[in-house]
Amino acid sequence: MEEKRLVERSKNGDEEAFGVLVKKYKTKVFNLAYSFTRDRETADDLTQEVFIKVYYALEKFKFQSGFGTWLYRIAVNHFKDYLRKHAKERHVSIDSLGREPSLPEDEFKKKERIQDTADRKKLLYESLRSIPEKHQVILTLRDIQGHSYEEIAGILKLSAGTVDSRLHRARKMLRKKIAPFLSQEGGNHEM
Amino acid sequence: MKCKRVETFLSRSLDGLLTGQEKAALEEHLAACSPCRKKRDEYVFIAETLGDDDFPDINPYFWERLQPRLKESKKYAFWSEWKQWSLRAVPVSIIAVVSLVLGLALFLPQTGDELSQTGDLLLRNTLPLPETVTLLEAETGENKSMQLIFMAMEEKPDLRRYFP
Repeated sequence: MEEKRLVERSKNGDEEAFGVLVKKYKTKVFNLAYSFTRDRETADDLTQEVFIKVYYALEKFKFQSGFGTWLYRIAVNHFKDYLRKHAKERHVSIDSLGREPSLPEDEFKKKERIQDTADRKKLLYESLRSIPEKHQVILTLRDIQGHSYEEIAGILKLSAGTVDSRLHRARKMLRKKIAPFLSQEGGNHEM
Repeated sequence: MKCKRVETFLSRSLDGLLTGQEKAALEEHLAACSPCRKKRDEYVFIAETLGDDDFPDINPYFWERLQPRLKESKKYAFWSEWKQWSLRAVPVSIIAVVSLVLGLALFLPQTGDELSQTGDLLLRNTLPLPETVTLLEAETGENKSMQLIFMAMEEKPDLRRYFP
């Protein structure tokens, strides 16, 4: 059935139609939630909350954008709220990665340790969490979820130019965070 | 091409947004600049690692678990809407009442001054003349003048002010 018809029926309280929409979008929303939280249970819970929010907000949806874009906008805002509420508990210092806080350690040893693939991946995600929220969001949407500039502009209600400049700033910020930990000159960054 | 500009190009090249000319200029610069090559490797590392993210499967029976939550939320939807409405209504009501009071205080016409003695007599349909007659019957001319002056001042207190 056409998506618009499903949305119309859901707006009239048809749970079956809403169930079809949920089945269509649940994995995408869950993956987005997981990208932000890196925790399966939390991502699952957040995804359920997003669909509850969407169900009760349906009457406000006027088809000014695609249903998917609107759904993503609600999801991103919900995840941003979650990130704000849990900012302190989620914050992990990059310097503390795999290191006893009281033990002095020279840069060389630290760099050597994170040659390990898993550690480097962890380092990247911790660095991603440590950059400002709006940069985290845009990198997640573009580099993890693979949305196009136009889709991101629709979800975040930004111009394509702003998406471009913010994305560039976000990548630059992330690169500067991880650069000291990656291997030197012509480094071999294979995972 | 300057190294600072190269960084923008490196980021945009990840999205395939460079023109052929820009791509050639970037390659030329990278061939000669070792720090920028290092940056390129770092950007590639970021893009490849983030793009290669693996997601776990969503927990089973998602819809079956969601349905009761939707019904449960429906029960609280009315109260939640009422709560939201009342939270907005309280400050709005306070602002409305304060605005109304201020508006009344500022724009309502002020009640008139008390009537002068003469006005009061006229309102009661009594001629002020008999009062004047009493004054004019005073013994001396000086007294008459003084009483007339004091009477005038009583009726119009503004006249007491000194105007240079």
